[in-house]
Amino acid sequence: METIAMPAINFAAIMPETILSVIAMALLLINVFVPSEQKAYLGYLSLIGIVVTFFTVIGGWGTPQEGFNGSVMQDNFALFFKGIFLVSAALSILISDQYMKREECNHGELYPLILLATCGMMLMASGTDLMTIFLGLELLSVSLYVLAGFQRDSLKSNEAGLKYFLLGAFSTGFLLYGMALIYGATGTTRIAAIASYVAQNSLAGSNLMLLIGMVLMAVGFSFKIAAAPFHMWTPDVYEGAPTPMTAFMSVGPKAAGFAAFVRVFVIALPTLRADWADLLWVLAVLTMTVGNITALYQKNIKRMLAYSSIAHAGYVLVGFVAGNAVGTAGIMFYMLSYAFMNIGAFAIIVLVGKKGEPNNNVEDYAGFGFKHPLLAVCMSIFLFSLAGIPPAAGFIGKFYLFSGAIQAGYIWLAIIGVLNSAASVYYYLRVMVFMYMKDPVEEFDWLKVSPAIALCLIIAVAGVLIPGIVPGYLLELAQKAVLL
Amino acid sequence: MPNDYLILTILVFIPLTGCLLLVPVWSRVEWARRIALGAALLDLVLACWVYAAAPAVIAGGGTLPGFFLWEDLPWIERFGIRYTLGMDGIALPMVLLTAFITVIAMLVSWRAIKERVTFHYFLILVMETGIMGVFLSLDLFLFYLFWEVMLIPMFFLIGIWGHGRRIYSAVKFFLFTLAGSLLMLLAIIGLYLIHGDQSGAYTFGLPALLHTQIASGASLWLFAAFLLAFAIKVPIFPVHTWLPDAHTDAPTAGSVILAALLLKTGAYGLIRFGYPLFPEAARTFTPLLYILGVIGIIYGSWVAFAQADMKRLVAYSSVGHMGFVVLGIAAWTPVALSGAVMQMVNHGVTTGALFALVGMLDERSGTRSIAAFGGLWGKAPVYSFFFLLFSLASLGLPGLNNFVGEFLVLAGVFRVSPIAACFAFVGVVVTLIYMLRLVQEVLFVGERTPLPLADISFREGIVLGVMGVTVIILGVYPAPFLDLVSMPVALLTGGGLP
Amino acid sequence: MLGAYLPILLLVVISICFGLGALVLSSFVGPKKPSKVKLQPYECGCEPVGSARERFSIKFYLIAMLFILFDIEAVFLYPWSILFKKLGMFGLAEMGVFIAILLVGYIYIWKKGALEWE
Repeated sequence: METIAMPAINFAAIMPETILSVIAMALLLINVFVPSEQKAYLGYLSLIGIVVTFFTVIGGWGTPQEGFNGSVMQDNFALFFKGIFLVSAALSILISDQYMKREECNHGELYPLILLATCGMMLMASGTDLMTIFLGLELLSVSLYVLAGFQRDSLKSNEAGLKYFLLGAFSTGFLLYGMALIYGATGTTRIAAIASYVAQNSLAGSNLMLLIGMVLMAVGFSFKIAAAPFHMWTPDVYEGAPTPMTAFMSVGPKAAGFAAFVRVFVIALPTLRADWADLLWVLAVLTMTVGNITALYQKNIKRMLAYSSIAHAGYVLVGFVAGNAVGTAGIMFYMLSYAFMNIGAFAIIVLVGKKGEPNNNVEDYAGFGFKHPLLAVCMSIFLFSLAGIPPAAGFIGKFYLFSGAIQAGYIWLAIIGVLNSAASVYYYLRVMVFMYMKDPVEEFDWLKVSPAIALCLIIAVAGVLIPGIVPGYLLELAQKAVLL
Repeated sequence: MPNDYLILTILVFIPLTGCLLLVPVWSRVEWARRIALGAALLDLVLACWVYAAAPAVIAGGGTLPGFFLWEDLPWIERFGIRYTLGMDGIALPMVLLTAFITVIAMLVSWRAIKERVTFHYFLILVMETGIMGVFLSLDLFLFYLFWEVMLIPMFFLIGIWGHGRRIYSAVKFFLFTLAGSLLMLLAIIGLYLIHGDQSGAYTFGLPALLHTQIASGASLWLFAAFLLAFAIKVPIFPVHTWLPDAHTDAPTAGSVILAALLLKTGAYGLIRFGYPLFPEAARTFTPLLYILGVIGIIYGSWVAFAQADMKRLVAYSSVGHMGFVVLGIAAWTPVALSGAVMQMVNHGVTTGALFALVGMLDERSGTRSIAAFGGLWGKAPVYSFFFLLFSLASLGLPGLNNFVGEFLVLAGVFRVSPIAACFAFVGVVVTLIYMLRLVQEVLFVGERTPLPLADISFREGIVLGVMGVTVIILGVYPAPFLDLVSMPVALLTGGGLP
Repeated sequence: MLGAYLPILLLVVISICFGLGALVLSSFVGPKKPSKVKLQPYECGCEPVGSARERFSIKFYLIAMLFILFDIEAVFLYPWSILFKKLGMFGLAEMGVFIAILLVGYIYIWKKGALEWE
């Protein structure tokens, strides 16, 4: 009796994903068997899981693993992004415990969902087949829809979940249609095979089906990374979602979107480079400008950070358009620093709120700087880093991205980026103006920092300042992780 | 001088170390004040020691001729970024000025700041580190880093302890400077890439970049970006609008540092980076700089004339005085450039002192309106004496410091562009008029509204006395200063423009 | 390239025309004599009882969703069982993992009480 020849599977290629999903399922079971007052353990367990996974990610560095007949490839590029996802998941978990307890929605499902979303992101980063990427994207999105609406008794959170679901499903449709057209044009969904087919048949932008497929995929990914004009969902979802989940959503999925976006476009469609570079040029300029200008007149700090995250997607797109080694490494470096600074800022937002009163308006920060000097200093560091002011990691990241753009000859793009960056300083400064230069309205006496949030803040500050002052090591890593 | 002891690094980081020492005594204000002042004084002593030791080793070398102290350590090697500090005869006076003015700024705000005192001194020390770094960096990336670092404390100083529309002014100051400097950052990256493509060695180090051959079109754009960043800081005429607001609304220490030090960083940047890096482009821009410099002198003086607020008057006079510096740089001859460097120091001391004086009045009476005062000569004679001294210095009385600088600049510019020199001279006359008017109104015209005014205290007397002595020494015997400056100026002008 | 799909386009166009044509034609040609009885909703010939706009209990949706979820596993079980011998031990292990994952979900919903009607 002959057996069917199994394709090369190589579980090493999906080691981190496997560990995370096993832990997620274990947590799901523990959750239903453990009485609700001991739910805090779930958080610790998920953190342990993340740390273990992180070590497998570090251990895998430098030895690319291909698996599942070429549909998964865990190379340095994927590993670097996996590091970013794990960092953002860990930091978000650290800030969720206090928030969820305060808002009385401390359901244990939170942690498995975060882990599964992380798992989906990882699959997106290491997927070398359009289907794998799509699978990862769905796993990520479905988990996030639930996380956005996690605060079940809050109308805003419900709205966020529903909006995210509807628009997310819509955008997935675009992406899938684009993938289908690419498959139609090339007859394969393997990224490498698409590349070789395109090269052999010298297909280029003149091939209508390929071109439309590329554009539709760009639209789909743009939804995921919240690039203008596909960003409309972002502010509402970010505002309504529970704050720790907003922090998570603004970093991880964006990085995952970029990972897949870069891999598909750079490797599979190099012959269409001229076309997609032009397309992304426009997207980058629109995204930066719309994000920054709209952020200028936001009163709600969560909405402000939502628009700022749109703008940051624009900066990262600048590095993508550049398309060279410096630009691509810049994307990775920037997303990592963005994880630290943005989640750090959200940690402070969590602390400033209290039950039923999120205190999300910029005015609520009046006098914060002298009531809680240490927290305010942390917030200032994060905001300065977001604004791209040295010596913070955000500055080195922007420096890296814009260097890439100039090197590739996109001088105007760099100039527009830099002007945008200057405009963005205004709204970050405004928070600082309120923190330090207005008289306090509130006493902030309810404010208590749980050890978990303190740990998160320490990690985030270190993650912003250390790469900002001595970036050499991380730059080296990012450079080694570049695909090209 | 060997760089084994990292003297420049120590010079830059003493203030920052002082900041760290402030943290444990955060709530004990008296201690915090003394520690901060101690750190600033230590830095001043070190700077003076470097000055005293400088003539002996002035021929010593680094990679760049003229530099007698030099430190070079690897930092971010992937990008060819190094931690390079160097000191020559132009940086040294600036460093001395920085250390000196920081001490002065701390002393003038000794009692004026009543809230969040420690934070105030903390910011001043951070700023000192930033400014020292700007004056000593010879790596463009490092320079940019310090350039941004010195912005942040000033933003907080104006915003927290300022008067009037303090927040508006703070934000305006920050945004103006940042917008310019970000474009400069792009130019720095562009220069770095051009040099790297040419020579194969990617570096931000100034010595290597000086040898870059740049196509004339590109160099125009790059220079324009540098010029914009520095022009905003100097400030040169159309981009000066942040200055009156920031100066007026800043607390006294902030105004002193802003006028005496931050403005200098712009001019220094032009001398150290802008002109030497792009000599060709700079020559193309020279006529524009003449015009803008002259406009700055005349316009600044003219507007100062119309001010009712003393602080605003002094602020606009800064625009005028810095116009001379711009002219001196634009001429780029040894005489004019020495004059410009000298004028930078002069303006720092004189205008710093004037801001301190206005601050003292404000502290006592709560107003800075010229119309509120009169007849001070009789009520507060010592104060009035210093007021007169620094006003006369500011208007360029021979024998006092500003005269030497302005004279050198005008003499130098006259050789190259007589028309510009003539127009600048008109500015001198207008300065004379508004300064004399100020002196007359405040000191001599009869008292208008009786205000309770005490004469200066011992502490204020020391501050003003030391500054007064400096003003007179620089005015009467500028030779040591000019000797110090002469070699780097000769090297700069010899290699660049005629 | 796209030319290969022309027949599909033609098919779509023709089918749309066919359907629309039937509707349009019947509205022109057919006689219309509406009466109260004729306009009533059709309910297998019985008299309609109450309003048609009734709300279902949310539990039905839950049950329906769970049914679909666990029904899908059968779709995978059939092909696997046909090739059981050829897939060998590896296939068995894989299916074990698959079932285990489903089992986790099953235990979860069971403990959560999603299977209880009240």
